[in-house]
Amino acid sequence: MSATRPAAVTVRRTRKKVDAAFYLMLLPALLLFTLLIVGPALAGMFFSVTNYVGYGEYSFIGVSNYLVLFTDPRILRSYGFTIGFSVVTVLLVNAIALFLAVLLNSRIKFKTALRGVFFIPMVVSGIVIAYVFNYVFSTTIPAVFGGSSILANADWAWVAVVVVTAWQAVPSALIIYLAGLLAIPEEVYEASSLDGASPWRQFTAITLPLMAGYVVINTVLGFKNFLNAYDIIVGLTDGGPGTSTSSVAMTIFTGFTSGDYAYQMANAVVFFVITVLISIAQLRIINRRGVSL
Amino acid sequence: MNGPPGGGVSRRSLLKLLGVGAAAGTLPLTTAGCGSGAASGATTLRWLANKPEVLAYFDDLATQFNASQARVFIDHDGTQASIVPQFVRGVPPDVACYNYNLETSNYVRGGVLADLADRPAAQQINPSYQALVDQYATYEGQTSVLPWSVTAAGVIYNVQLFADNGVEVPTTYPELLAACQRFQAAGVTPIYTTARDVWTLGQGMWDYATGSGADVPAFFKAKLAEGDTSGKPTFLETFRPVMTNVLELRRYFNPDFPSKTYADGNLAMGQGRVAMYLQGPWALGEIAKTDPDLELGTFSLPMTEDPDDRAVRVNLDLAMWVPTASADVEGALAFVDWMMTPEVCATYNQKNLAFSPLLGAQGTTDPRTAGLAPYLEAGRIYQGAGTFVPNTIPLWNYFQGALLDGDGDGMLRILDADWDRLAKRSALA
Repeated sequence: MSATRPAAVTVRRTRKKVDAAFYLMLLPALLLFTLLIVGPALAGMFFSVTNYVGYGEYSFIGVSNYLVLFTDPRILRSYGFTIGFSVVTVLLVNAIALFLAVLLNSRIKFKTALRGVFFIPMVVSGIVIAYVFNYVFSTTIPAVFGGSSILANADWAWVAVVVVTAWQAVPSALIIYLAGLLAIPEEVYEASSLDGASPWRQFTAITLPLMAGYVVINTVLGFKNFLNAYDIIVGLTDGGPGTSTSSVAMTIFTGFTSGDYAYQMANAVVFFVITVLISIAQLRIINRRGVSL
Repeated sequence: MNGPPGGGVSRRSLLKLLGVGAAAGTLPLTTAGCGSGAASGATTLRWLANKPEVLAYFDDLATQFNASQARVFIDHDGTQASIVPQFVRGVPPDVACYNYNLETSNYVRGGVLADLADRPAAQQINPSYQALVDQYATYEGQTSVLPWSVTAAGVIYNVQLFADNGVEVPTTYPELLAACQRFQAAGVTPIYTTARDVWTLGQGMWDYATGSGADVPAFFKAKLAEGDTSGKPTFLETFRPVMTNVLELRRYFNPDFPSKTYADGNLAMGQGRVAMYLQGPWALGEIAKTDPDLELGTFSLPMTEDPDDRAVRVNLDLAMWVPTASADVEGALAFVDWMMTPEVCATYNQKNLAFSPLLGAQGTTDPRTAGLAPYLEAGRIYQGAGTFVPNTIPLWNYFQGALLDGDGDGMLRILDADWDRLAKRSALA
């Protein structure tokens, strides 16, 4: 931040116009973003009002895809699952990550080594994690504790999906919390311990309020990622048993191979709007707390 | 199929551009292939044949054909890429030997494949196999696809366990139940089911039970006919008796069937702990990894009280077709003619646990699949009910759900609702 400020000031002082070089530097990123993100997104929106099957001819059918979408129980169920799963996972991930961050920031032995260990899940690919846990849930746990796999239980399979997703997502939240904890000056804790505050009191009265901004950031980033859940679910349950763990992203993806392209594009547009609305709501909260991403 | 009629000009040119790029990318590969055997003046034809298990076999076929003539050079392409983008870009394969399914049938319906009706081999193909092509799609009475390799699937059974327990191969549903009871009393798992891998249920219990318990080709012929959904047969009324039987059979499954996978099934079967296992011929090789000497057979799953209702699930594992956009249609057809000769076609099928579509040709003589041969000879065959349902409807997951919660009617009602919703969407065209 401090490095850019003088430059901005000089620009404003010398002349009103921003140097063309800045725009030029912006150009490659803008072009790539437009070509790879905005272009396909607009094409998808365009095809969502057609009956395009992925190739060949098509015609415009207005908003029919959207109307059918809202009456399709399979689609509605996938939204229910995805949003519920995201809320639970966000809560779990933040609770665990904050707890671990406080522990890893305290005076313990092997602090660096332990931090390294906790970051491992972040660098392993989701599908690999999913297949390993698939084996653990289906073979190891039933062998040790008896019973059948949680993944084969339509009522509880979602818990397994939450656990594995959280296992992978905790480290990235942990990094942000650790950085936040390091930013809290040591003197605050010293003063409070002189006043006789217990560790729990220190946590609730000092750590938590000062960390509020980081909690919000982790919630926003986490929620956005969990809404797009795909690889871990494919590797763990493939949407089953039945369709109990089918996420919106998985449903959208079926459109590419089944000739249901336009319909799932409409689904993608609806999902995009919902994600944007959630993000705007979260950004409002962030601004109120005076934090910026 | 010729691109969007209007409003898509920029997209079209973009796709063309991508196509040129992709063509340039494959060029080095193609020329490398040419270097070895292409005579000067021969057109190079890209032959798509990507069945993973037999890539080397196909390489060998291409070499043989190239040595036999000088007109075209067949360049075998075994990549696993999707073929939809190739058609979209206007660079489809010049000739293909490819799995024929609901997705591939789109090219038939779109009329982008050359008519093979006047090829000599077209008269040599068993009509009951040729009819399978038309069950998914047709185009103006054309013969767009020639079957090349037919695979058949049924109940794999442990011959020794059947003999030890005095059980004959069941020919009716009551006999099947009696056999299951016999095995269960003897402490043998009657039917091993692997419900964690939904595809094993789809190709297995669902397809076999519906195929023997109802007239699957007739049902989907009616379902796919023109007109709205009213007056057409429903999944509920057609398959309800089948689902009742299937759910009854659950008590003869391995008790942990909801959490077992394909690999578990092959292992259990290979260890000789299981009497019956609902899998296709591809599982035979996997079972043999555990016990190469295990004596196995295959029979058709009976679902009714009439033995004549039994039929066998078949699959056009490989079929030949030539896009009209082929670089040299005549040259490609000459290759198809060569591929369809009994020396090439029947030999392949004999060696690969498959059945030759040619009239009078010997298919596999492997004792493990011999039990299905009479059904194929009699034409009592069907393509699985699951293969007619586009995968936008998660049929396999629905069936898995029904096996777990026992609500067969609920599953069939959802299928009907999903199918009607899809039909309504498609009808908007």
